[in-house]
Amino acid sequence: MSDELPDLTYYVGGNAGPYRDWDAVNAPMIRHWCEAMGDKNPIYTDAQAALEEGFPGVVAPPTMMQAWCMTGYSGQAAPGSTDADPMAVLPVLEAAGYPGVVAVNCEQEYERYLEEGDRIHFYSTIESISEEKATTLGTGFFVTQLCTFYDQRDEVVGTMRFRVFKYRPKASEEGQA
Amino acid sequence: MNSVLVSQINIGDTLPELSIDITPKLIVGAAIASRDYQNVHHDKDAAQALGSPDVFMNILTTNGLVGRYVTDWAGPGARLNKVAIRLGAPNYPGDTMVLSGQVKTVDADSARVELEVKGENKYGYHVTGKVVVALPT
Repeated sequence: MSDELPDLTYYVGGNAGPYRDWDAVNAPMIRHWCEAMGDKNPIYTDAQAALEEGFPGVVAPPTMMQAWCMTGYSGQAAPGSTDADPMAVLPVLEAAGYPGVVAVNCEQEYERYLEEGDRIHFYSTIESISEEKATTLGTGFFVTQLCTFYDQRDEVVGTMRFRVFKYRPKASEEGQA
Repeated sequence: MNSVLVSQINIGDTLPELSIDITPKLIVGAAIASRDYQNVHHDKDAAQALGSPDVFMNILTTNGLVGRYVTDWAGPGARLNKVAIRLGAPNYPGDTMVLSGQVKTVDADSARVELEVKGENKYGYHVTGKVVVALPT
């Protein structure tokens, strides 16, 4: 039995933010990332190599874009961030009997490489919430979030489209049958 | 380090495979380097309480490894434009993920190359996706 499901269209759209960075783009955090990923691309750690590639200094791996605005150890968003939950529909679905969550897609596009000193923030909108779908995991909803990342000049540096499946696991469906 | 030029690339070209040992050190170290402190990426008991056999790799690390895989091949002159991945079987400690890639399209005018990238572990595909990279001319 499904609990009463609220009108999900209420949660589509919006423009939650800003979600800010804790630190300016910086060489030590870039180096830590590259060490862990095993990434030896010299433009990330060697200023001379970056200069030869036309950058003013080392640049961040583009896939690191999201890391700058992560909450980190404290679990708190960086100062100056909104308190709004960018995925407010997820606890709503949880309360309606869809406790499972799994990430399905992550699509990042980059307008430019981030340089030392850049300050990053993002805004989040919910692009879509699917009809209820049955999958091998269970039945639930695909929720697609679009985050747009900006720099200190409020110019777009990249986007991230992130899709999760919020579902009622199959076993619990059988258990409730 | 040399960079691959767009003129050297043909549709159907394959990238050298990259085999990555999935260790607790990699999972935890890369989760922290990406500032992801969700307990399922460093606390085995917490991961098991949520139904996983062990800690597992976070998405930022998968993105980072896919980006690294492409620029390992393409060199420092390459510029990543897009990394679009679909997530599948989790990466657990003790497993090995083998990354492979193939050129799907080449646009000589924009010098952009679209690659199909896959990362397979013993359960199946951890990641499949598309990477768009601009190469030097």
